[in-house]
Amino acid sequence: MSTASIALVGNPNVGKSVLFHRLTGAYVNVSNYPGTTVEVARASACFDSGIDLIDTPGVLTLPARSDDERATMRALFDEPLRALVQVGDAKNLRRTLTLTALIAELGVPMVLALNMADEAKARGVEIDIAELTATLACPVASTVATGGEGVAALTRELAQARAPGALLHYDPATETMIGRLAALIGAYAPHPRLAARGLAILYLGEDSVAEAWLHGTAGVHADTLKAARAEARAAGVTPAALAHERGEAASLIAARVTRRRADAAPQLAQKIGRWVIHPVWAWPILLGVLAAVYEFVGVFGAGTLVGLLEENLFGGYLNPAVTGFVQQHIHIGWMADLLVGQYGLWTMGMTYALALILPIVTTFFIVFGALEDSGYFARLSVLSNRIFKLFGLNGRAVLPMVLGLGCVTMATLTTRILSSPRERLITIFLMALAIPCSAQLGVVLGLLGAISFSATLIWLVAMVAVLILAGWLAAKLIPGRRIPLVTEMPPMRLPLAGNVAKKTVGRLKWYLIEVIPLFLFGAFLMFLLDKAGILPAIIHASEPLVTGWLGLPKEAAAAFVMGFLRRDFGATGLFALSSQLSPIQAVVGMVTITIFVPCIASLMMIIKEQGLKIASAMLALIIPFAFLVGGLLNHLLHLVWA
Amino acid sequence: MKKTDHHARVPLAVLLPGSAATVDTLDDAIDAAQCEQLIAYGLAPARPVRVMQQRPMTIVMIDEVELALESSVARHIWVSRA
Repeated sequence: MSTASIALVGNPNVGKSVLFHRLTGAYVNVSNYPGTTVEVARASACFDSGIDLIDTPGVLTLPARSDDERATMRALFDEPLRALVQVGDAKNLRRTLTLTALIAELGVPMVLALNMADEAKARGVEIDIAELTATLACPVASTVATGGEGVAALTRELAQARAPGALLHYDPATETMIGRLAALIGAYAPHPRLAARGLAILYLGEDSVAEAWLHGTAGVHADTLKAARAEARAAGVTPAALAHERGEAASLIAARVTRRRADAAPQLAQKIGRWVIHPVWAWPILLGVLAAVYEFVGVFGAGTLVGLLEENLFGGYLNPAVTGFVQQHIHIGWMADLLVGQYGLWTMGMTYALALILPIVTTFFIVFGALEDSGYFARLSVLSNRIFKLFGLNGRAVLPMVLGLGCVTMATLTTRILSSPRERLITIFLMALAIPCSAQLGVVLGLLGAISFSATLIWLVAMVAVLILAGWLAAKLIPGRRIPLVTEMPPMRLPLAGNVAKKTVGRLKWYLIEVIPLFLFGAFLMFLLDKAGILPAIIHASEPLVTGWLGLPKEAAAAFVMGFLRRDFGATGLFALSSQLSPIQAVVGMVTITIFVPCIASLMMIIKEQGLKIASAMLALIIPFAFLVGGLLNHLLHLVWA
Repeated sequence: MKKTDHHARVPLAVLLPGSAATVDTLDDAIDAAQCEQLIAYGLAPARPVRVMQQRPMTIVMIDEVELALESSVARHIWVSRA
C-alpha cells in the first residue's frame, strides 16, 4: 500500500468509475446503472505512481445508511487521504452540492469534478464554474469522463486541492451543539485527518461508521459523546433537520451559479427514455428487445457459433485429431480414456467449455453490457416492479435476475446492489432455484427445441410457475418488510462499443478462470467415479427415484451427479442421452435438472455472501424440491400429454 | 362567500402527467431511511416537482433527474399544485 491516496466520492451513477479508469488506466466494471460499484477499488494513479486512487461506491446520502455508503465512509476514515475528488453530475448541481456541504466539513483538501458536462449542456444547463470555484474556495473542474475531456485539467487541479470552506452555518442552536460535540471529539477521539467539526456532524447524523470509530477511539469517554448527542437530539438536532439545512444551502448555491436555457428542447435520448416506460409502448418495445436478445444469443450464439465450433471445428477437426494423437501415443487404456474417453478431459471438459459454453456466454455478455450501458435496465426495473412485488422484492432485483441468466455465480455477487439483507436472501434463493444460467439454458433449449416447440413451452411454463410459487412462498416465510421501489432513471445513452467490449472481456476472463478448471475437474471426477465403480453404484441406488418417480432412464442418475459440478454439466449429461429419451422424459429431466442444485462455483459464492448455514438450508430445500416438481410433472404429463 | 383554498394538498400519486407541483410534506407512512433518500433526491419540502407519468409507476422530474416511485410511496408525498 502506498503512503498517500486520493479517493473519488460522489452520488451514484455520476461516472466515478469511468474517471477512475481515466486516472489510473485500471479498469473496473462500469455501467449506466446506479450501484454498479459495490466494493472499493484501488489502483495507482497514472500521474503519480506513489499515489493510490480509490474508487468508492456511490453515495446517495451521507451520513451513511446503506452498505455501499458505509463502505465509502470507511474508506474516508481508514485511507491515508491526501485529497478527495468529489465527482458530481453537472446537470444536477443541487444534489452534488448537498453532498459537498457535508464532505467540506471533513477538512480534507478536495477538487470538485462536475462530470457529464456534455449532457448538462445539451439540456440547456450552464454552470458558472468561476463563481462556483469562488464560492467553494476549492478547485472545480468540468469533465466528460467518457470522452476524456477535462481529465488533464482535473489532474492539474489536484495539485491545487484545498479544503473547501463551510457551505453553510446551521441554525444557532444547532451550531452550539455541533461546537460542543466537536470540542469533545477533539479532546477524546481526534482523527488524524478528518476535522472534529465534520465528525461531530456525522455523529449527530447517526452515521454508523463514524459512530463506531468515535466510540472505539474515545474508549471510556464514549458515554460523554453519547450524552452530548442525546442532549442535542432532545433540543431538536435530528439527522433529518441537519440534512434539510444542507439541502437548503445547496439549493441556494446551485440556483445562484446555474443558468438554464429555456429553449432547450427534449433530447432524442430523453424521448426514448419515456417511450420505453410508456404505459402502452413499453410492452412492444420490451418484446422487441427480447426478440433481439434471442436472435443474437439464442440463434446466433447458441446456434450458428456453437454449430461452427462444436460440429465443424471440434467435431470435424480437433477432436478426431486429438483422439488420433492420443490413441497413437498413449497405450495405457485408462489414460487414453481420461483424455479422450466418454468423460475425457478433452472430449468432455474442453469441448463443452470452449465449443458449447463460450459462444453462448460471450454473446450474452455482449448484449447484457450493451443494455446495461444504455440505461434500459433501470427502466426494466420499473416495468417489472409489479412482478417482483409478488416475491416480496422490488424491481431492482431485475438486474441480478437477468444477469443470472448469464452466470448465476456472478449474479449472486451483484445482489449487493439490493438494499436489504432480506431482498438479497430472497433473490439469491430464487436464482439458485429457478434461474438457469446461459450455459444450462443453451443446452436445455438445444435439447427441447429439437423435440418440439411445445416441449420448450412446457419447460418454460414449469420454470415460471416454480419461480412464482417459490417467490411467493419466500415473501411470506422470510420475515421482514418489503421496500417499495424508488429509483433514479439514468439518461438513455448509446452504448460505446469500447466500453461494452471491455466489460465483456472482463466478464469472460472471470468466467473462464472459473469455468475451465471446474469443467476439467468435473470431467476428471466423473471419470474417477466411473472407473471406481461408484457411478454405477449411485445410478443403482437412485434408480427408484430416477426411473420410478421421475420416469427417466437409469443412466440419467449420472447426469444429476454431474449437475452437482455445474448446472449445464447435468443438462449436458441428459443431452448425451437425448436419443433414448421420450419427449416427456426430456421435459421432466430438464425441469428437474434446471431446479436441481446450483453449480459448485455459485454455491461457493452463496456461502461467501450468506454463510454456510443459509447455503446448506438452501440446498436442503432445493434438492428434494427439484425431485418433487420433476415427479409431479412426470405424472401430470403422462395424464394429459401421452 | 366560500373561500377557495388555493393550496389544497394532494398526494403526488393523483397528479396528472404533465402537471407541476411543490412538495409539502412526506408523511410518516414512508420508512425513515427511504424518507432521507427521497429528500436527498430533492423530493423535499418546498421543492418543485414535475409529474411525467403515473403508470406503471409515478415518474417525476426533479431538476434534471427522473425518479420512479412506487405508488405506495407517491401516495404519502403531499404536494400543492403549482
